Amino acid sequence: MGLNWHVVIDNMPILAKGALLTLELTAGAVAIGVVIGLFMALARLSKRKMVRAAAIGYIDFFRGTPLLVQIFLVYFGIPMLLQWQTMPDNYQYTAGILAMGLNSGAYIAEIFRAGIQSIDRGQTEAARSLGMTQIQALRYIILPQAFKRSIPPLGNEFIALLKDSSLLSIIAIQELFYTGKIIVGRTYQPLPMYLAVALYYLVMTQLIAQWVAYMERRLGKNDIR
Amino acid sequence: MIFVKNLHKTFGKLEVLKGINCHIREKEVVVVIGPSGSGKSTFLRCLNKLEEPTKGEIIVDGIPLNSEVNVNAIRREVGMVFQRFNLFPHMTAIQNIVLAPEVVRKTNKEEARKIGMELLAKVGLYEKADEYPDRLSGGQQQRVAIARALAMKPKIMLFDETTSALDPEMVGEVLSVMKDLAREGMTMVVVTHEMGFAREVGDRVIFMDEGIIMEEGEPNEVFAHPKNPRTQAFLSKIL
Repeated sequence: MGLNWHVVIDNMPILAKGALLTLELTAGAVAIGVVIGLFMALARLSKRKMVRAAAIGYIDFFRGTPLLVQIFLVYFGIPMLLQWQTMPDNYQYTAGILAMGLNSGAYIAEIFRAGIQSIDRGQTEAARSLGMTQIQALRYIILPQAFKRSIPPLGNEFIALLKDSSLLSIIAIQELFYTGKIIVGRTYQPLPMYLAVALYYLVMTQLIAQWVAYMERRLGKNDIR
Repeated sequence: MIFVKNLHKTFGKLEVLKGINCHIREKEVVVVIGPSGSGKSTFLRCLNKLEEPTKGEIIVDGIPLNSEVNVNAIRREVGMVFQRFNLFPHMTAIQNIVLAPEVVRKTNKEEARKIGMELLAKVGLYEKADEYPDRLSGGQQQRVAIARALAMKPKIMLFDETTSALDPEMVGEVLSVMKDLAREGMTMVVVTHEMGFAREVGDRVIFMDEGIIMEEGEPNEVFAHPKNPRTQAFLSKIL
């Protein structure tokens, strides 16, 4: 059986559709992950022991277990908990985005925590000495600076998340990798097709890297030394 | 204006303040001197509760410093300037100044900006309003920091070694702003190594060592005729 590169050309549009879904899934997961990450980072730094312990538990669980297992836990777990008789249409998308969001929330929490802790204590002291509450100091002084410093590691996390979204093929979400697999099953051309899939991933991760570098340049202008 | 009674502060096993008693009157300029590690900065930072006193009582402008509510109320009335400026690096000079009046005092934007620009003019930096801190020299940054504290219209200003991190040629410009403030009748507590400043504008000098007030009095008197042997030893080293 010879290599047939034509299948790649022929299936470009279908792969593109899969790639678009990959981007959408990643974007959804990032949105959930950033929100969870922010709250978990603040909880992790809380003065209250219980709050801190809860955040540590969350972060440890989602960093310490495989994403694949987490996807199954969410996908099969929610219907059982809610005692659904049948799964609603398109439920796999919700479950997939949620599982990835919960997972990345743990990583992003640690990124934000490091960012917050890297801000000089004098910044908080200056804000508090001006009569600002702790929340005002966070909102106007600490978080804007911490966020700026978090951009490079956040970029890495977004790239990792985009690649990991290929795991969602396991719950029959027709993202890029799943689409490639289907086409291979039909055409028996694994090498050209999976190379094409890899290329699509590479283009997307490169785009994210470029975008992150651009944001870093734009926001980094007035950072301290 | 500020009453301090039996103030103690312990960090772990280290007792930094061992019972400070003092009374600072309205419009008084009190200069706190002493060797490093004597507890002067800690004392100052207890006055607006950046450090939590271990024991003792502090009453600022009639408000006892005991609950979180009171702390924010007091901090609005007590401005502080730090050794390392602590300007907000993501904001321009004028943004640094207007932020607290806007979010804490709820002053409207135009009013806050007007006051902010007046203060910048007062510290000689009107034309630097839109510069970010990293484009300003140390002396300029510290003057912006003073303007930022003044924008809250405080009744008391605390200065924590405000010239120690500056290049020598910039010390003068910061001290001259502080002298102007003293002349206008601001109540000031100044921790400093600038003995010239202490002599010129201080109404009273407090000498601290090993966590207690060893000696206090009128500056010329203390500098010329120190009574405590520790004060004598300290002054002989630096004068």
